[in-house]
Amino acid sequence: MVDLEKLKNVAKETVSREDVKYLVGWRQGTYGFRVSPHFMTKPEDADKLIFSPLCVNNLATYLTLAEKLPVPRGEEPDTRKVALMVKGCDSRAVVQQLIEKGIERDSVYVIGCPCQGVLDLEKVEEKFPGVQSPVDVQWGDDKFIINLPDGTQEVPREELLAQKCLNCRYPNPVISDVMLWEEVEAWGNGEYADVKELEAMDSQERWTFWQEKFASCIRCYACRNACPMCYCEDCVLDRLNPQWVFRSNNISENTVFHLARAFHLAGRCIECGECERVCPMGLPLMSLNRKLAKEVREKYAFEPGLDPESKPFQSSYRPDDQEDFIL
Amino acid sequence: MSEQYEPNIVAFLCNWCSYAGADLAGTSRTQYPVNLNIIRVMCSGRVNPLFIINALQQGADGVLVSGCHPGDCHYMEGNFYARRRFGLMKELLEYIGVDSRRFNMSWVSASEGGKWKDVVEEVVGKAKEAGPFEQFRRNKINW
Repeated sequence: MVDLEKLKNVAKETVSREDVKYLVGWRQGTYGFRVSPHFMTKPEDADKLIFSPLCVNNLATYLTLAEKLPVPRGEEPDTRKVALMVKGCDSRAVVQQLIEKGIERDSVYVIGCPCQGVLDLEKVEEKFPGVQSPVDVQWGDDKFIINLPDGTQEVPREELLAQKCLNCRYPNPVISDVMLWEEVEAWGNGEYADVKELEAMDSQERWTFWQEKFASCIRCYACRNACPMCYCEDCVLDRLNPQWVFRSNNISENTVFHLARAFHLAGRCIECGECERVCPMGLPLMSLNRKLAKEVREKYAFEPGLDPESKPFQSSYRPDDQEDFIL
Repeated sequence: MSEQYEPNIVAFLCNWCSYAGADLAGTSRTQYPVNLNIIRVMCSGRVNPLFIINALQQGADGVLVSGCHPGDCHYMEGNFYARRRFGLMKELLEYIGVDSRRFNMSWVSASEGGKWKDVVEEVVGKAKEAGPFEQFRRNKINW
């Protein structure tokens, strides 16, 4: 399955190319189950690259996060590509950025890594608490092989799989310049069980549920910063004139913040789950995004991040869009 | 709260159809509830979803967005975009537990003074059923 030798060879080759600026991949973090993004500029750095169930980060966000310095007079702008390792979900983020013309196809070199589902770091740290030294984790048949310092352990796949992966329908990159190994079979059925559960509650219960959640938000904006789709240079949440969202941390503004963010991702969210993963307060943010994704898919038969030639959801329309809610 | 609760509703009307329709209702001396605060916009497609959230935050008990019938838009396609956008917005508001009766959208053309009256009556009736919307108010800031 995962062929690290091939990954390293491809990475060396890619970084040696003249039209590639750097490569973004994953490397083992400094402790426990943590993994860091790895920015590779030299072929020698390839030895550190890994691809394992710990590679949860969506690296597509680094495409738009990179600082664009002004080009000094008389110099040509650097048009070299950024090479990027993507899982299935990350590749949809790349495609969605291409659809929105946030990046250009020529500016990115996509290294596709078909993925069998990543770990939920919270679950794994709960199961194996206090692990200090870096841990290596591998995929097995329907299990994770975890090489702890005091021996190897095998855990069934369902037990530690991240929430977003349980129902994943796109484990294989939908766009790639080079695919590292053979594609895996998709296992998800794309159901929205969690959303339906909330929908079944009555309106007042839902209001109480969400108000409790929003009340604990500390407005750190980690969800926005980790989101590969949140890359506006002038974010509406930062804008002072007009100021749509006040900066005070109270229930009213927090609700507006989450509504605004969820709505801006309507028809764009590719369900990589980064917002929920980075949230320090553990808010179920994906529930909002998945609700909108569900509506977009079921009522408008649209899915973001699949076809780079398609038009963005909210800047296109069909004459026969549903309008049963209109008086 | 007084004996008879009067909701406060913000209505975004498009300049070319709904605003003219409301105007027609007025010039024809049609009687309809006065709970609406009308804001004229050039097209229903101009209405930012944040307008709605903001209206609810600043004291509205309900919001109405009204535009031209599909295909009649002065700008050809503005109301098609609005329809997509507010279909989702309504779902999202409902999902976080805002009463679905608080947010309405309608198509009213410039000749439909009668329909405008019906729409207003329905919207105001719904908002009265839903009651005042206090939970979401922006806190008053004392500088």
